Amino acid sequence: MRRILNYFLMRVLLTIPMLFVLLTLVFVVLRVMPGDPVSAMLGGHAPEYVIQQKKAELGLNKPIFEQYIDYLGQLAHGDLGNSMIFVERVSHPIAQRLPATIELTLFGLIVTLGIGIPLGVRASRKRRTAQDFGIRFYANIVYCIPVFWMGLILQMVFGVLLPIFPIAGRVGARIISSDFDRTGFYVLDTLMKGNFADLGDVLMHLVLPAFTLGITLSGVFVRLTRANMLDVLKSDYVLASRARGVPERRVVYKHALKNALIPIVTMLGLQFSALLAGAILTETTFSWPGMGRLLLERIYLRDYPTVQGVIIVYALFVSVVSLIVDIVYAIIDPRVQL
Amino acid sequence: MKRRFSLLALAFALLCAGTAWAQSTLVYGTTDKVTVMDPASAYDQHTWDIFQNIDKGLLGYEPGTDKVVPALAERYTVNKEGTEYTFYLRHGLKFTDGTPFTADTVKWSIDRVMRLKGDPSWLVTQFVKEVQVVDPYTVKFILMGPTPFFPTLVAGNPPYFPLSPNVYPADHFITNPSELKGGALVGLGPYKCTSFKRDEEVVLDANPDYYGPPPHIKRIIIRYFDDATTMRLALERGEIDLAYKTLNPSDISDLQKNPKLNTFKIASPFIRFLCFECSQSVFQNKELRQAIGALINRPEITQKVYLGQAIPLYSMVPIGMAGHTDNFKAALGDGNVKLAEKILSKLGYTRESPFAFDLWYTPTHYGDTEVNLGDVLKQEIERCPLVKVTVKSAEWATYKQQFNNKQMPAYLLGWYPDYIDPDDYTAAFAQTAASAGEGIFFSNKKWDDLFTQEQQSLVPSERAKIFKEVQAMWPGESLTVPIFQGNLFIFTRKNVEGVKIGPPLIFNYDQLRFVK
Amino acid sequence: MNATSGGREIRAAKYSPAGAVAALFRRFSEAARRYRIEWWILVAGVVVIAAIVTMTLFPHLFTHFRPEDMNAGPQMKPPSAAHLMGTDNLGRDVWSRIVYGAQTILGVAIAASLASALIGIPLGLVSGFSGGFGDKVISLIMDSIYSFPGLILAIAFAAMLGPGVINITVAVAVVYVPTYFRLVRGQTLSIKQELYVEAANAIGARRPTVLAKYIFPNVIATVVVVFSLNIADAIMTEAALSYIGLGLPAGIPDWGMDLSMGKKFLPSGVWWMITYPGLMIMILALGFTMLGEGLSEILNPRLQEY
Repeated sequence: MRRILNYFLMRVLLTIPMLFVLLTLVFVVLRVMPGDPVSAMLGGHAPEYVIQQKKAELGLNKPIFEQYIDYLGQLAHGDLGNSMIFVERVSHPIAQRLPATIELTLFGLIVTLGIGIPLGVRASRKRRTAQDFGIRFYANIVYCIPVFWMGLILQMVFGVLLPIFPIAGRVGARIISSDFDRTGFYVLDTLMKGNFADLGDVLMHLVLPAFTLGITLSGVFVRLTRANMLDVLKSDYVLASRARGVPERRVVYKHALKNALIPIVTMLGLQFSALLAGAILTETTFSWPGMGRLLLERIYLRDYPTVQGVIIVYALFVSVVSLIVDIVYAIIDPRVQL
Repeated sequence: MKRRFSLLALAFALLCAGTAWAQSTLVYGTTDKVTVMDPASAYDQHTWDIFQNIDKGLLGYEPGTDKVVPALAERYTVNKEGTEYTFYLRHGLKFTDGTPFTADTVKWSIDRVMRLKGDPSWLVTQFVKEVQVVDPYTVKFILMGPTPFFPTLVAGNPPYFPLSPNVYPADHFITNPSELKGGALVGLGPYKCTSFKRDEEVVLDANPDYYGPPPHIKRIIIRYFDDATTMRLALERGEIDLAYKTLNPSDISDLQKNPKLNTFKIASPFIRFLCFECSQSVFQNKELRQAIGALINRPEITQKVYLGQAIPLYSMVPIGMAGHTDNFKAALGDGNVKLAEKILSKLGYTRESPFAFDLWYTPTHYGDTEVNLGDVLKQEIERCPLVKVTVKSAEWATYKQQFNNKQMPAYLLGWYPDYIDPDDYTAAFAQTAASAGEGIFFSNKKWDDLFTQEQQSLVPSERAKIFKEVQAMWPGESLTVPIFQGNLFIFTRKNVEGVKIGPPLIFNYDQLRFVK
Repeated sequence: MNATSGGREIRAAKYSPAGAVAALFRRFSEAARRYRIEWWILVAGVVVIAAIVTMTLFPHLFTHFRPEDMNAGPQMKPPSAAHLMGTDNLGRDVWSRIVYGAQTILGVAIAASLASALIGIPLGLVSGFSGGFGDKVISLIMDSIYSFPGLILAIAFAAMLGPGVINITVAVAVVYVPTYFRLVRGQTLSIKQELYVEAANAIGARRPTVLAKYIFPNVIATVVVVFSLNIADAIMTEAALSYIGLGLPAGIPDWGMDLSMGKKFLPSGVWWMITYPGLMIMILALGFTMLGEGLSEILNPRLQEY
């Protein structure tokens, strides 16, 4: 346990320089960008002195380096600051949008694994048969489908031609989300309230976005599962179990898959940033009120503190997930020396 | 089998919930956004619309018209010079938090707008010198000078609306109603705001303390959509009862044919035009401005990009406004390649060394069709072999900074009026100070004198004559070239009635009602 | 999985371009015999790429419409003999926009991948070979960028630079520098330990000579594979940026932008405006993926097992 704790602390410390690098990069990029929050917000009628006054209020006329030091100081106190466009704390919209993104990625992940792992296992068992090549072909095709196009096609087929699923937003227009909104995870919120009509609506809204994200990423997992299963199926103990007369299904799903899952868990950590990138495009296609949309909206408005806040949260999100993956890996694989 | 049954039950329950609701609640979809929930700071159509329904002005418009009528003030008087307006307030009104409405609250609200210097504050500070409390129910506005359109300013502009001093902070804007004392916006209008979730939903409930007739519909949910396509589908499926601003042209033409919907088409005072930077770019030469202006083919643009839903515009003063004249049609024409060729070859441009310039547009601020407008304009202008256009785009924040810094020689703008008067369509672009604010930097002594004269005159016929003259001079200078005027479309389910939107574009939700 | 197997040893003794080409050729024909499917994947990739490259070089052979001509046909008409893929909302021919749009996406993707390779490879070589504090700092920066969702960075850069062909290329290129850096640095580190490199160092060979003669040639095989896969990725990033609206201004035909335009006409039943540009993005990306996969299976014997 102590071993894992030490490792944990070490990893947490290592994420700090990473956050720092990304933050610096984004901070500079934002300031070099033409346009600023004041001109984004003020009407054309605003006289020059008002513009200057507003810039002074926001601290925008200080040298970039000074602004940077100020911001870091603020951040050290765990404060993401105030928006420069709306009168609100940066943490406010992030707290509202982050659960939406997590919910989407989580369900996307479930779909990805739900498609990827069974197909991968199947392909490995039917190695070099038509089925195997068919599944591998699927994996390759799906890998090359742009997420947003997948979304558009699903919208066209299941939203317009056969209007089964809603194609935008998290809840129906007639449902007031603030009635049940507590944690921001709508599936959880409606469940806790026992409001099954709303839960049904929330789930219906999740179907197309989750499948869009899930299908496009499933290709990677098909290939990965297949490759690892092939490795494991050749291993001595699988051969031994077979020899002992353990039923084939049991050999494959119980013994082999369990071992093949270890590298898949690692891959999950690496693929997570792809999942987040995919989530941004899914959010744009399905008008999903998540972090990706927040980022785009605020970049257009040049809302520096909010954009920086979003980037930090994304980076934290990625590090936390890779940390969890590493720890899980350490626990399930005793060979790992921490 | 069991699972399938529960799914069916679920769908049924959803359906019931939907129909039961529809009786007392109207869902209104829009692609607009709420900017700042403070009348001293917000400066956009949609947020103003909400203020028009949760607050009230001293004066108001009769729904569906541009006729100014009494509202919180029962009547007003003007002095002979037109510089002092005295309003006599209704007695016994209370804000939803219980604060009584008096002359002091009026003065406090106006002073707050002037002190906080928000974006729309110029609508007050440019005209009002000070507000005096005469007695608890009489308030006097002392103006900077004669302002013939002052009643329209008071009626249509939320910065003039009285707010409760016990709720709104005196020294800063509020954006999130939950940070207010009592946790919600309070006003004197027919509705009160009960829930606010930025970019997702706003819930308005009927205000029981409203002095006028209670609204027909007790609850209005404003639902915010990211794109028009989704909003259109929601309307078709009956998820929303009403869609207003802004649907795409293709959606509008489809929805107009839908028998389950009502269409309301409103001539909008929204205009689009091409601007030139007149002080230092190549377009300081007015002949070049004329040449490019002549090449624009308005009917082609309105047909191709807007599927015939916009109206070609030949003057900066919109159609339907008193004094509008079609000067550009005769002077420059549409797609007039011959004229452009004549001007440009006289200036020494040839096929081998054509006149080249950058044409700028901004891709989202004016809706999704803007890319197409850029595409079409480029092609129309390049029909003259002596011109070469490079189309460039920048997001609104960058765009605005660039035109203020004279970095864009030719760029597209759009205009919603601040007050319904030709002055806001002409002086706003051609009078030296205002022109710089829009990045045009046009300055001409003769024009400035005409505008000053018009702004101080109280005689309508005299002002009309000046606007006619200015419009006639416009193609000659071509500092801006009008392209088209928009139409606004509102679609409702068949059971919704009472959509009344007049030229000031104020949408009174209390007029809406359900019919069988 | 013995580290010194395969390609490395063959080319370790003394690098000669002719010998390398011959070895490569041998390997290819051997692969063609042994692994039919992999070979066909490679061929299919090459064919797809060749077809689209031909399209970018001689667009007028494929269509007689200009991509910007809004009077090519009536507005929003479904595919017909006159317009193979229909017309868009302005009356432009969709097929002609596909043909000319290929130039944009292919140009940007290749240029961006090249740019990242040209920055990432030397940086990785030098950093890995020299080691020390500089290596640590550069690695930290590269790892940070690498672990972050690339699209988000591309969005930030694209928004900073504004729309334009060169700007979008830069934005895409930034994202992939760490890919090459990490790959090349990792390989350099392991090759550095090899006997022949240590021998070269011992006899006093100059560092640039060692880098150029012994290390670079061993790295390049993997780089070729990654380069091809990288172009596929860059294609999707470019398309994503212009789909979001951060890519290009009006007047330049582009698949991603046409797709986001077509999205608005989806409920009106205009399926052809979103189907074809997306399909083309997929096919083009698939072409480069297949090329990369094929190459990797042939160049990297270990993977042939699967």
